[in-house]
Amino acid sequence: MVRVRKLPFWSWPSSLRRNGIMGINSRNINIIFALNPRSNYAMVDNKALTKKLCESRLIPAPKTYALIQRFGDIKKSTDLLFSLPSFVIKPTRGAGGRGVLVIADRKNNEFQNAKGEVFSLEQIKYHISTILSGLYSLSGQPDQAMIEKLIEPHPAFKELTVAGTPDIRIVLYKTTPIMGMLRLPTKASRGRANLHQGAVGVGIDLETGITCGGVWRDRSFDIHPDTGASINGVMIPNWTNVVKTAIQLSKAIALQYVGVDILLDAEGGPLVLEANARPGLSIQIANRCGIWPRLNEINIKQGLSRVRQI
Amino acid sequence: MFNRNRAAILAAVILTAAFLLCVWLRMKYTWKPVWAHGTRGWRLTYDISFSFTKGDKIQIAIPDSTPNSRLWRETFSHEGILVDLLRNKRTRGRGASAVSMPGHERGRFFAQFDIHLRPDPQSKLPAAEEKISANDRAYYLRNEKEIQTASPGLSNILKQLSNQKITKTELLNHIFDYCAENITKGQKGTFSDATNTLEHNVGSTLGRARAMAALCRASKIPARLVAGFILENNQQAQVHYWVEVFAQKNWQAYDPENGYSVQLPITFLPVSRDSIDIVRGIKAPGYQSRFSIRRLLPPPSLSSSQERRLWSIFDLTGLPPSMQEIVSMILLLPLAALITTIFRNIIGIQTIGTFTPGLIALSFIHADWRTGTIVFVIVLCVGILARIILNKLQLLMVARLSIILTLAVLCMVLAVAVLDYLSLTPSASAVVLPIVILTMMIERFNIIAEEDGLPNALKIFATTIFVAASCFLVMKVDWFGRTALIFPEVHLLNIAILILIGRYSGYRLSEIWRFRDVTQTPPG
Repeated sequence: MVRVRKLPFWSWPSSLRRNGIMGINSRNINIIFALNPRSNYAMVDNKALTKKLCESRLIPAPKTYALIQRFGDIKKSTDLLFSLPSFVIKPTRGAGGRGVLVIADRKNNEFQNAKGEVFSLEQIKYHISTILSGLYSLSGQPDQAMIEKLIEPHPAFKELTVAGTPDIRIVLYKTTPIMGMLRLPTKASRGRANLHQGAVGVGIDLETGITCGGVWRDRSFDIHPDTGASINGVMIPNWTNVVKTAIQLSKAIALQYVGVDILLDAEGGPLVLEANARPGLSIQIANRCGIWPRLNEINIKQGLSRVRQI
Repeated sequence: MFNRNRAAILAAVILTAAFLLCVWLRMKYTWKPVWAHGTRGWRLTYDISFSFTKGDKIQIAIPDSTPNSRLWRETFSHEGILVDLLRNKRTRGRGASAVSMPGHERGRFFAQFDIHLRPDPQSKLPAAEEKISANDRAYYLRNEKEIQTASPGLSNILKQLSNQKITKTELLNHIFDYCAENITKGQKGTFSDATNTLEHNVGSTLGRARAMAALCRASKIPARLVAGFILENNQQAQVHYWVEVFAQKNWQAYDPENGYSVQLPITFLPVSRDSIDIVRGIKAPGYQSRFSIRRLLPPPSLSSSQERRLWSIFDLTGLPPSMQEIVSMILLLPLAALITTIFRNIIGIQTIGTFTPGLIALSFIHADWRTGTIVFVIVLCVGILARIILNKLQLLMVARLSIILTLAVLCMVLAVAVLDYLSLTPSASAVVLPIVILTMMIERFNIIAEEDGLPNALKIFATTIFVAASCFLVMKVDWFGRTALIFPEVHLLNIAILILIGRYSGYRLSEIWRFRDVTQTPPG
């Protein structure tokens, strides 16, 4: 593993404050409690509801083939599954990519995932039933299963993709984007684009859509830990549309501080994956910059007083 | 606008003021123990030192509250031994069981019991009828080495006493009168068993008590010996013996030496029933015991009324000692919660579950931590292994959790039994782990291992144990438990601190490490 820079062991709180770094306590108390009403969480916690919202507002999102709500519906999905060349099954209330089954190919009666592992129809039906019974939902409550279109990732990220699909996280404050990050799955994250599971986060300049430095396991990184390819200076295709989509969704959701996850399909079309009511803070390390200055900039523009930092 | 931070500080200040007010009120009103008129206080002190051989299990009988006496405070200290309090299954008497600590050959047990005597029984109800099982009846009629129920002398005396047709109660009176009047107290070294005492009509205190017990048992009246103390100022208190007879559906006390029957004076404090030894089980020679009794002076301000005062509700030190132990343990739990909150919100250490560390620490408080740790590790390992195997079956969550719970229970019980068999654990102080918490811990560990990788799971697991160990070290300090028992209002202060922590929006300690890379490049 290549350490990019030699860095001291800690930063003084005063230095963090000077850089406008947002800590967890401050995010929870000053931002989430104050701006995100709990009653609106359902809209983002349940992917089916988020998707419904996208459809009603004409915000692009991966096409949903079916939403399976009851055990009785599983049988009825047989014909649908055989009519599809590829698809993704995911729990609507899962977190961290748990319970997601990607079927990339089908040969007669056998389904195959990206690694070439073979699944029978029975196994797929069993997987759906475990989703419904709540095996993958956060608190073990009964859940629903979504069958979605499998999105072919954009070729621009080919060199940076080891496993899984990269996505773009944009954090918006009062519907204005304040920070963006490209999330690259790694071997360590086992194909998932979740930073705390070991994915790489790459900071994005919001004006240009060009990447600038990144974070891996809370440390500054300039290369992909698996391939060694530089993660700097990558141009995100169709960036203006990506930002526009994120703004559209944040306007539709009644949360003032939200993280939106967006996927780019092969043609560069942005598709909303999900939204997050408490987006993580590592994005600050990826962008080498604190959230507070950007957030206060918006407040000042709107004529509001600065949100207290500490 | 409503300022939450200011409101939080205000709430904390109010709670602190309430705490101080409570302490002031307590000092003013309830600090002095309530002594009803006529109450007399006595302090019984045990000082027992002994040497032992490995594996000795020493039993020391200790007093308990009776209808006339109330044990309101007890303190124990010991050296070189591990002590547990337990109750005899048959007699319900209290005892302290001691085993040697590794590497110690001598031990010392020191205890103080403060006892309040009330001239009238606390419960005004007639004594409840007691039942005695057939088994116990046979037990209390048995022929013992020194309470011989089948000697020819004894049969002759019984024949004399019951020559006419008389009831059992009359016979009992005759027996008592015989032992009190016809048998005289001998000099030092006189007979102390039933047969010889009855034959020669002379015996020690013990001999006369045994003679009476033997006569009763031979007449099919259940009887047992009682060892205890007569409360009077005495630096070298002697153990006194008397007899309890099961008659008229109650255990009645008879003291042939002093001539008391059916009821003894309230200064007679029973300590050990059916066994005449206060200290039992020492095989090695060289044991010394000293019992002293001292009168406690009543506090200067005596309560004039006999009614119990309402605010004694807030005096937890007035609870029976055995309940005090449990109450002080419960009162420690908020302290553990506070420690966990500090670790999570200010230091920024993640733990599995919010109260898991505190509950694990609590279960170790009254157990031997070494054996506790062994059991803990075994249960965890088996649980995690079982979880990995169960994962192959892809069971639904509730069923899966229940299986792990069952396995954890079996595993814990088995581990405790094995440790006891190998005599690695002091009796009854085997750790009783919070199984439900442990089950959730196993589940969370596996989920994290699956989601974020094994290193992450091990890390969060280690930090949980670290926080639990910190809680344990703090809770283990006796001072906290005692203070919380005397001043339960200290938890108002706890809430005040938690409110302040709950509004703390500064950086966590872990964040000055986590975000260290951001500050290396200039902002912007």
